Amino acid sequence: MNVLVVDDSKLARMAVIKLFRALHPDWSHVQAANGDEAIAALNEKKVDLVVLDFNMPGRDGLDLAAEFRKIRPTMPIAVISANYQREVVDRARVVGATFLPKPVTEQALKEFLATAVQRRQDFDP
Amino acid sequence: MNEFLEYFLVEARELVERATSDLLMLERAPSDRERLDGVFRAFHTLKGGASIVDFGPMSRAMHAAEEVLSATRASDQLVTPTLISDCLTCLDQVDQWLDAVQDSGDLPGDAEAAADRVIVRFTADPKSADDTQGKPIATASAVRAILPAAIAVLQEQLSLLVTGGDGAEGRMASAGRLAANVLRHIARLDDAKQIERAFLQSRTSGDFTLLSAAIERVVEKMRAPVPVEAVAANAPRAASTSRTLRVDTERVNELVNVTGELIVAKNAVGHIAKLAMEANNTLAAVIKDEHARFDHLIETLQRVVRGLRVLPMHVVFQRFSRQVREMSESHGKPVRLVTEGDKTEADKAIVEMLFEPLLHVVRNAIDHGVEPAEQRAAAGKPSLATLYLKAWREGERVVVEVEDDGGGIDVAKIRQAVAERCLVSREVLSAMSNAEVLDLIFLPGFSTALEITELSGRGVGMDAVRTAIERLRGRVLVETRLGKGTTVRFVLPFSVMMTPVITVEAGGQMFGIPLDAVIETVRIPREQIYSVGGAHAFVLHNQTIPLIELGRTFGWGADHASFDATVVVASSGGQLGGLQVDRLGAHMEVMLKPTEGLLSGMPGIAGTTLLGDGSVLLVLNLEDVLQ
Repeated sequence: MNVLVVDDSKLARMAVIKLFRALHPDWSHVQAANGDEAIAALNEKKVDLVVLDFNMPGRDGLDLAAEFRKIRPTMPIAVISANYQREVVDRARVVGATFLPKPVTEQALKEFLATAVQRRQDFDP
Repeated sequence: MNEFLEYFLVEARELVERATSDLLMLERAPSDRERLDGVFRAFHTLKGGASIVDFGPMSRAMHAAEEVLSATRASDQLVTPTLISDCLTCLDQVDQWLDAVQDSGDLPGDAEAAADRVIVRFTADPKSADDTQGKPIATASAVRAILPAAIAVLQEQLSLLVTGGDGAEGRMASAGRLAANVLRHIARLDDAKQIERAFLQSRTSGDFTLLSAAIERVVEKMRAPVPVEAVAANAPRAASTSRTLRVDTERVNELVNVTGELIVAKNAVGHIAKLAMEANNTLAAVIKDEHARFDHLIETLQRVVRGLRVLPMHVVFQRFSRQVREMSESHGKPVRLVTEGDKTEADKAIVEMLFEPLLHVVRNAIDHGVEPAEQRAAAGKPSLATLYLKAWREGERVVVEVEDDGGGIDVAKIRQAVAERCLVSREVLSAMSNAEVLDLIFLPGFSTALEITELSGRGVGMDAVRTAIERLRGRVLVETRLGKGTTVRFVLPFSVMMTPVITVEAGGQMFGIPLDAVIETVRIPREQIYSVGGAHAFVLHNQTIPLIELGRTFGWGADHASFDATVVVASSGGQLGGLQVDRLGAHMEVMLKPTEGLLSGMPGIAGTTLLGDGSVLLVLNLEDVLQ
């Protein structure tokens, strides 16, 4: 599995990757600091799963998630935000992304992965 | 130590810097939504970072600020000066925390209380905050008159707090707010803040006695007789909380020196990493990683140290009130000086070098720009001329402007004068735009041309002004409107590039060696220096290093051959060498000037700099020297 982590804060990216390492030491990771880098990574590399930050300069995480959806309709996407806002949660649901509160905990990530992998199996048996 | 701490520090410093610059821009343009977005995002990311590294108090403080910023962002309201100053205060606090984290790896022990103080700024009832800002606070005599009533109100709140049961939380909230408002009303701002803090603590802990104890303390204080002056003096102090700390220049210089030492230590680690790599030592990779980390941290340190050495423009501007008054009197032209942006800060080196060029421009403005009173009257202008000195920050640049409302520069007359003096050929001149012609006032020799033609224009010594500003890596721009006035603008970098050097003495001459290249300084016993062909070398850490006698290289006498050699080991362009010197001097940061005149093009010299005692320090170009 290859995970794409998108956040303009390197610290935040490192924190997420650390959790992934703890859960799945064998997975690889790609990082992107903004929307353009993320789209480029998605087009150039084999990406199986995306975790992106809601609050970024330029396109926000949900706009980006919607774009990812167009490119990869079945790929699991998680949008993380430090602020639990009903609107963000709802919009995440509309684009088929999972909302995760920031800072992301191991438990939250585990649950997301469980449902995400489940969904992937539903789509490509 | 938390593994993310290093990145947290780097990122947080950057965010604080970015948010500060955005806030300062917002101060000038409160409707700039993009800046507001930037500030919001910076606070948001700071909050996220703080919670990743488990700094709860910082995360709470950032959250409070973020909430208010978010509300402002969602509304159409302009950003208020109060919000800007609260945010800046909050960032100051963050900066202090970051310093503590850098030192100790953790927030200081009083972080919770400090966070509460920040939070109060953002959560205090906005209406009561406005009261203290806008309306004059009750006069001292009025305060004395209503003091008993205020005490009665506070005691009432106390009695409400002792009864527990249903709705206790709501009662506590209203008691806390009311008590704080009453205290604000009678100008006891510090007391009001204490109540607010106690209120927050009570609310989070559920322990109402914290609030009642705080109210009791205040009531007790109010019962004691208060001198009238103390009440009046309290108000302004509380309104403008100090955001700065005075530090002795000497201490900053010490910091600069230690930073220099660190650079040498870092270079030594880099060298060891290389040796380990060549020796296939198993630790090589680890040392290399550590070196990279070290390198990164020192770069940050250098930036932080640079940020310490700032001065407000006020330092230069204040010198002009007397200058302008005197010039105005001696020319018989009434001129008033208006300064704006006195508090704008820039690198000390820049602020201190601004006086001369500014004086040139101001003198020109009064000499040639401002018309005699009768001429002004004929043109329908007020007889009192106005000269503006302005400064402001634009991102990484500082702009300083001299603006007059005089006669402006007649570009046609410049064309004529330039043509007559043949400074530029007629064909070239006729093809030039007005702006390009105006730029000719910076030509060396232009001022003389004007003086000869007795043209009352501008340009006395403008070439010197441009040279001075360009030496600081700045630019000079001129705008003029005939009959309306002229503006001369200096666009300067916020900080100058300083090169850290170690000074050495060799052959009776002082040299500066850039610290970036220095690996270590050692004493080599004479008998360990041996000859290789016509040259000398020594062995250090199992490596043969060629010895370069610095004094002899530059032909300034011979070195003493009978003593142990003092050697600066340096590396540049892949070459390693030991520079033999007579004496080691101090670490210092210098602003390099390209060599001029006799020294220009001299191999081995990167540039010169003036020392405090007026002597010239030659800074070596090690790549040349080690070849």
